[in-house]
Amino acid sequence: MRKSTTRVCLTLALALCLLVAATYWLALQYAPQTTWLLLRGGLVVLAAIVCMALGFHVLQRDWAQDRTDLLNFFKTAALAEAPNAATLAAVTPDARAAFDRVLQYITGLRRRVQELTLQRQELEIQLRLAEVEQRQTQTLLNGISDAVLVTNEFDEVLLANPGAAELFGFGLATALRRPVSELLPDSRVVHDIVELRQNPHRTARRTLDLTIEPKHAAGTNAITPRSFTATLAPVTDPHGLFGGVVTVLHETTRERQIARMKNDFVSHVSHELRTPLSSITAYAELLVDGEAADEKTRQEFYQVIQNEANRLSRLIDNILNISRIESGMVRVSKVPISLSTILKQVLEVARPSAKDKNITLVDQVSQGFFQINADRDMIYQAALNLVSNAIKYTPAGGSVRVAMQTATDGQQVTVFIHDTGVGIPPEALDHLFEKFYRVEAHKTMAKGSGLGLHLTRQIIESVHDGALRVESIPGQGSTFSFTLPILQ
Amino acid sequence: MSEKTIMVVDDEAHILHVVSLKLGNADFHLLTAADAEEALEIAATNALDLVITDYQMPGPTGLELARRLHAQVGKRELPIILLTAHGLTLEQVELTRAGIACCLSKPFSPREVLAKVHELLPEPAATTAP
Repeated sequence: MRKSTTRVCLTLALALCLLVAATYWLALQYAPQTTWLLLRGGLVVLAAIVCMALGFHVLQRDWAQDRTDLLNFFKTAALAEAPNAATLAAVTPDARAAFDRVLQYITGLRRRVQELTLQRQELEIQLRLAEVEQRQTQTLLNGISDAVLVTNEFDEVLLANPGAAELFGFGLATALRRPVSELLPDSRVVHDIVELRQNPHRTARRTLDLTIEPKHAAGTNAITPRSFTATLAPVTDPHGLFGGVVTVLHETTRERQIARMKNDFVSHVSHELRTPLSSITAYAELLVDGEAADEKTRQEFYQVIQNEANRLSRLIDNILNISRIESGMVRVSKVPISLSTILKQVLEVARPSAKDKNITLVDQVSQGFFQINADRDMIYQAALNLVSNAIKYTPAGGSVRVAMQTATDGQQVTVFIHDTGVGIPPEALDHLFEKFYRVEAHKTMAKGSGLGLHLTRQIIESVHDGALRVESIPGQGSTFSFTLPILQ
Repeated sequence: MSEKTIMVVDDEAHILHVVSLKLGNADFHLLTAADAEEALEIAATNALDLVITDYQMPGPTGLELARRLHAQVGKRELPIILLTAHGLTLEQVELTRAGIACCLSKPFSPREVLAKVHELLPEPAATTAP
C-alpha cells in the first residue's frame, strides 16, 4: 500500500470514529442508561481505535519504504548517467515529483561541472600553449644579438634577452617583473620608456642615439663606451589598448668607427692630393704670369711640375691599390716567378737615387734556384717601397743592404732590407703600417703620404700570405724583412 | 726703409719657394721657416709685418703658431694668413679665436695670396719705396 491509499483509509477510519462518537454522544443526551447502547458504542470506539492504530502503522511502514526508495533513487541518480526506468517506476508520484526537482538540480549541476571541466581543460591547454609560445619567444629573443627589453603598462620588465642583461649588467633570472628603472639606473632609455607609456596616444616608434658604458665584473676597469641606436615601440592589443613598450638597442659602435675611418680616409686622401696639386697649379701660374726670371728658372719650374704630377700619379695608384686590396676587388695574377730576379730589378731602379744621396746600396741577393707563386708587379712594388724608404730615411754616407735567406726546411724565403738610417722610435713601431701614419720626427726628412708601408703590408700579408716585420734601433738603423712561401 | 717683412711657414719646400718668389717679385722682404718652432725662433728676433703659414705641419699646427705668435710682445695685431689643404673642415670660430686674418685653401693661387697681402698691408713696399 502506498502513501495516498493509507491517507484515504486513515481519513475514513477517523470519519467513522467521529460518526460513531457523535452518535454515541447524541444517544447519551437523549436516551441515557441504555446498556446495549453503551456496549455497542464501546465496541465502535474500540474498532475506531484499532483502525487508527492500523492506519498509523501502515503510514509509518510506507514512510520507511518511501525513504528507502528515495535513498536508492538518489544513489542511482548519483551513480548512473540517467535514472533507471525501473527505479523510477518503483517510487511514488509524490516522491517522483521531488525526485524530478532534485534530478533537474543534479542534471544542472552535472552540466555545470562538465562545462567547468571543459573550461579547465581548455585553460590548461591555453596555458601550455602560452608557456610554449613564451619559451619560443624567449628563445628567439636569446638569439637576437641586439639588446631587447619588453615592459608592461607599469614599466615592469616582461621579457629581456641576454644581450640586454649583459649590456646593463643585470641577472636575467631575476629581471622579470622588476621595475625597469631599477635595472637601467640613470638611463635615457628609461626616461623614454616612461614617456612613451605616459603618452599612449603616441603610437609612432621613436629612436634615439646613445652611448653606454657597459658594466663590468669587479676587478676589470677597461670600460669602452659603446654606441647604440635605441628603438622604442608601443605594444597595443587587438583593441588598440596600450600594453607596454618594446625597446631594442642596436649597437652602432662598429658602424660609427667605420664611418669615422672613412671620413678620416677621405680627409687624408684629400690632403695628400692637394699638396702636390698645390705645387703644380702654383708653379704653372708663376710661369703664366712670367714670374720666372730666366730660361733656367722656367726649366726648373717645368721639372717641379713634372715631379709633382708623378707624385700625384703614384699617390692615386697607391690609394686605388689599397682600396682594391681592402675591398677584395684587386685582380691578382699569381704565377711562378723568381724572387731574386725581381730584387735585382728593384736594386737597379733604386741605385740612381741612392747614388744621388751618396748612399751605398749593397746587393747581397744570391741567385736562388726556387720560385714563389706571386703577382710579379705587386712583389716588385712592395720590395721597391721598402728599398726606397730605406734610402729616404738614411742620411748621406750611409748604406742600404738587401739580402735574401731561405729557411732550412726550404719552405720559406725571407728578404731583409737593412739600413744605417735614422731608425724608428719604439712608440712608432706599433703604428708604422697604419694608413697615412708618418713618424712625426721624420716628416721633414722626406716626403711621403704614409701609404707605402700600409700597401706593402697588404701586398705581403693579405695577398701573398706572407709576413712583414720590422726591427729598429733609433739612431742606428732599421731592418725590414718579409717572408714568403716557396713554391714546392 | 718701408720694406715690409713677411714670414712664410710651410713644410713643403715648393710652397715656400712659390710664395717667396711671388712676394719677393712684389718687393717684399721674405723670411721662411719649415715648421712652427723655427717660425717662432725667427719671430723672436725679427720684426714681422705679416705671416703666411700652412695649417698642417710637423709639430704645432698653423693655428697653434698663430696663437703663440700673437702672445709675443708687440705681435698681438700681427696679420696671419693660413693656407690649408683641409678644405672647409676648419671651424670659423677656431680661426677667429686664433686671430687668423684670412684662410686660403690649397691648391691656392699665388696671385690671390699677393692680393690678400696687399689687402692686409695697405702700404705695399713697392709704392712707398723712394
